[in-house]
Amino acid sequence: MSVQDLSVDPELVGLFNRVMGDWRASRTEPGVKLEADPALWGTLDELGLTRLTTEADATWLEAAALLRAAAKAAAPLPLAENDLLGHWLLAIGDTGDREGTRTVALLEGSNEAARVPWARFVDGVVVLGRDDEGWYVADAPARHLSIRPAWDLAGQPRDTVIIDTFSLQRTRVDESVVAEYRLRGALARSIQMVGAMEQAIEMSAEFARDRYQFGRPLAKFQAVQHLLADAACECALARAATESAVGLIASPGHTSDELALRVLVAKSVTGHAVSAVVRKTHQVHGAIGTTLEYPLHEFTKPALAWSSEFISVSQANHQLAQRLLTGNTSVWTAAVPLPAGDRE
Amino acid sequence: MPGLDSLHVAPLRESQQLQALRGEVRAFIAEELRNGSFRPAIDSWMTSWDSDFSRRLAKRGWVGMTIPTEYGGHGGSFLDRFVVTEELLAAGAPVTAHWFSDRQVAPSLLRFGTEMHKRDFLPRIANADIAFAIGMSEPDAGSDLASVQTKAVRAADGWRVTGTKIWTSHAHRADYAICLVRTSPLDVTHRHSGLSQLIIDLHAEGVTVRPILSLNGEHHFNEVHFDSVHVPDSMVLGQVGEGWHQVTSELGYERSGPERFLSVLLLLEDLLAAFRAGELSPDGQFGHLFARITALHHMSLGVAGALANHGSPDAAAGVVKHLGTLTEADITEYAANLLEPQAGDEDVRRVSVERALLSRPSFTLRGGTNEILRGVIARELGLR
Repeated sequence: MSVQDLSVDPELVGLFNRVMGDWRASRTEPGVKLEADPALWGTLDELGLTRLTTEADATWLEAAALLRAAAKAAAPLPLAENDLLGHWLLAIGDTGDREGTRTVALLEGSNEAARVPWARFVDGVVVLGRDDEGWYVADAPARHLSIRPAWDLAGQPRDTVIIDTFSLQRTRVDESVVAEYRLRGALARSIQMVGAMEQAIEMSAEFARDRYQFGRPLAKFQAVQHLLADAACECALARAATESAVGLIASPGHTSDELALRVLVAKSVTGHAVSAVVRKTHQVHGAIGTTLEYPLHEFTKPALAWSSEFISVSQANHQLAQRLLTGNTSVWTAAVPLPAGDRE
Repeated sequence: MPGLDSLHVAPLRESQQLQALRGEVRAFIAEELRNGSFRPAIDSWMTSWDSDFSRRLAKRGWVGMTIPTEYGGHGGSFLDRFVVTEELLAAGAPVTAHWFSDRQVAPSLLRFGTEMHKRDFLPRIANADIAFAIGMSEPDAGSDLASVQTKAVRAADGWRVTGTKIWTSHAHRADYAICLVRTSPLDVTHRHSGLSQLIIDLHAEGVTVRPILSLNGEHHFNEVHFDSVHVPDSMVLGQVGEGWHQVTSELGYERSGPERFLSVLLLLEDLLAAFRAGELSPDGQFGHLFARITALHHMSLGVAGALANHGSPDAAAGVVKHLGTLTEADITEYAANLLEPQAGDEDVRRVSVERALLSRPSFTLRGGTNEILRGVIARELGLR
């Protein structure tokens, strides 16, 4: 079979969209600073959607569809942190009772972690830490945490957390887990960035059709058409790169090198797209898009914030360049590798 | 209403059979390079004409792959062809001699041609024994293709064609040209009707081919004059009056292919060699361009998969062409900026970079300008 089935049950996607749509219809308008929405989280939890890959026997394909729906609704939730990172680490480390909501923190040589997503909201922080003996995973319940609230540029909670690691049970893990953690985080952010970009573009197209200037809709100005066409193209390429990485991670038997390549490519292309899409969608909107009352910022701000998380765009580009330099393949065979045995 | 989803294609994972085919092509190219039987070149699908190389490919079954075996082809899928052409272009192999026949003409003949067309032309295309040119643009009809003026008027047992086609690549080497001509006068309210496709023998009486040299002095463009050229009825392709529909229904094949992002890949290969040799230091931009090429490959593969499944991913194909050709232009700029003042004419990188710089203006023009493509995408977004 040459076409991998990467489709997600349309009924499930319909459910995701319905839940997010209902929430958005009745939510209170967000301010500059956001908090996770406990009621929405509770709804998703009851539906069994908060741990799709670690409990519900689903794959990254379903998890990606949920992340996309949440990003398109600007729903403030630790979906990626809980399922794709926190509980994934707990399962690897075979640590803790595995109940409740988790986020994650990387600790290197200190007990303080900055910019921990949604820390104030969760039941515990899964620590991926390094001590004298190497890397470990530990489950730090809320009573072991001292939290100083902080926010990222989109107003999403990114707290400073001091963790009482002394009494935590540590499970040793291989260093490769750290690399995989970063890749999984970067891929989750790429998925979210694509969702946010899609919403920003769709809003902008609608705005351009509705807004009249000089006696005609903005959409009839070729300059405006080209702004949005360019944004849509960048977004489409980012979606292709991201879905290709999701397809790989969802299929058994991939190597860590293959995964690194696909995720770094996705993060690079998606980060580049975010830069273009945010600038162009704001340009189309004019002054109204710069306000807090108009919802464009609910999509452009998180996209910008996510762009630098786990693996920045620049880090992705440099890591790709370094991989090429130290590898022994051509540029082309690195881009399109063949399984061993089929190589020339 | 259409929307962003119409720019999307389902991702595709290559089967073992396709991967094995890739491996075979890579081995073939490596062997050819060891024998020194071709010199890798940028833009090799447009400017590297080598009939012997095309025939060697044909012997392997890699020309006319999608032509059914009953017409001398190989009954392969569109994905088989995609994989083979991608590998050949990435290597800068000289594929021009069969390129246009293989890419456009064979699919058009299969879809619209008569049994006689198929029996006569397809086996010769698959053997790389004949070449076709494509006659679309005219002096007064560039992006606005519907305004073609070349006229075909009814004559005894056929048509008489009078007019001028321009930018007809390799008409000076090709045997035939498939031309879009007006068979009924222009009706301003139905500009797309009254057009037809004719297969014209370029050696027929009344055909004049005048070279148009490119700004680097190379010759692939031509201006082709038709002075009351006789074309028999049997050489009408498809239905009289359906030319516009026939031409535009196959744009996906022309727009999404690897020739829209791999024309200057060799510049990146040369740079990688220079980085490894310590002559230059790699930077993030190299990774960025590599990422875009890789993503374009995945998206282009997805479009090929959709075409193989008889879908019409025209908008997604437009995305690949728009961003792919811009990436080619960006790669050219990146490589040019890394040239050092002391690199002389014998420097491998300088030779390639200078050719690329002089070819670059055409990357974002040929086969539908990027401005036309943005208009297509804007329509998908409901803006037109």
